[in-house]
Amino acid sequence: MSVAEAAALDDATLVARSRDGDMRAYEQLVRRYQGPMYRLALRIVGSTGDAEDAVQDVFLTAWRRLGQLNDDRAFIGWLYRTTTNQCLNVLRKRKPHADTELDEHESPAPRTRPDRAVEVNAQLDALQAALRGLTPEQRACWVLREVHGRSYDEIAEAIGTTQQSVRGRLARARAQLAEVMAPWR
Amino acid sequence: MAVTSDYVLPCGRDVEEVWEAIDLSGEHMRSCPHCGAVRESLLVLREATAEMVREEVEPPFDLVSRVMSAVRADVRRSDVVPLPGDGLARISTRAVAAVLRYAADGVDGVRARGCRVVEAPESTGMDPVIEVELSIAITAGQVTHQAYDEVRRRVLAAASARIGVRLARLDLVVSDVLEG
Repeated sequence: MSVAEAAALDDATLVARSRDGDMRAYEQLVRRYQGPMYRLALRIVGSTGDAEDAVQDVFLTAWRRLGQLNDDRAFIGWLYRTTTNQCLNVLRKRKPHADTELDEHESPAPRTRPDRAVEVNAQLDALQAALRGLTPEQRACWVLREVHGRSYDEIAEAIGTTQQSVRGRLARARAQLAEVMAPWR
Repeated sequence: MAVTSDYVLPCGRDVEEVWEAIDLSGEHMRSCPHCGAVRESLLVLREATAEMVREEVEPPFDLVSRVMSAVRADVRRSDVVPLPGDGLARISTRAVAAVLRYAADGVDGVRARGCRVVEAPESTGMDPVIEVELSIAITAGQVTHQAYDEVRRRVLAAASARIGVRLARLDLVVSDVLEG
């Protein structure tokens, strides 16, 4: 199978093949979704090391549980749920004082773009800092909805709560974030 | 659906209402300083959020290979059969094979060669059952048909006494005859 052929395969095909023990098919799935899952994990846990560990655990768990997935097309939603859960567990286990040891989130490569771009980047940094002021569940709700565009239904399932509660957490998260962003008006 | 948040403004509206009407230019929104200020903050938030969506932080280059190493190791580990109990303790089929080969080696004139161990379909965590195919080399002149019964007896005993699994089926294959 050439790389081009493999790249063209849809999720459901790759999931079905992976379930039969095809590790090459599974590797394609990992390649396809490691980016979004890593970014989600990084935004929720805030440190690159924990995000990497979480994503690695998620894909290993997913491999082991492929047999339990009823609908091959549901793989991506299931990944989002598992990653969110894994990240919230990491945060629950973390000692309270460890929050001060978080990375300065990824500010990849020095940002050298001038003027307006500098301001935008500074706003992004401020937003990343503000996210750390939310509770883990609020942060997960907000990131899943506003950055990854997941549905309320999916988020409720990922967090283990109701849609109503997700909307409540989102509202509080948004209000709190807006307050922190106020100096940038 | 409006969600009442704890962030009520002095004008009686809350932040979420301002968010929902952020692109509408109603009379209140235009004239109310509280709503106007919150709207400005929400616009900044919206802009920064869009930037976050565009931001492509890439995972470490070796993440895929780390995941796949873990998957491969897991596949190797899954070559196991349960030990009696709650079904959580497992033993690798290779370890089982080593014990059974050793048991067969105890019979004079018999050398165990290959030993393939699989979990039997009826096996459960409470009552683990295995099926085994054991190939042996025998030394010509030393082995009688009683020796095969002895191999069978010892292998069965080792499975239950040394490992704790029931041996439901033992296929014994003489794969070689050595000169005595």
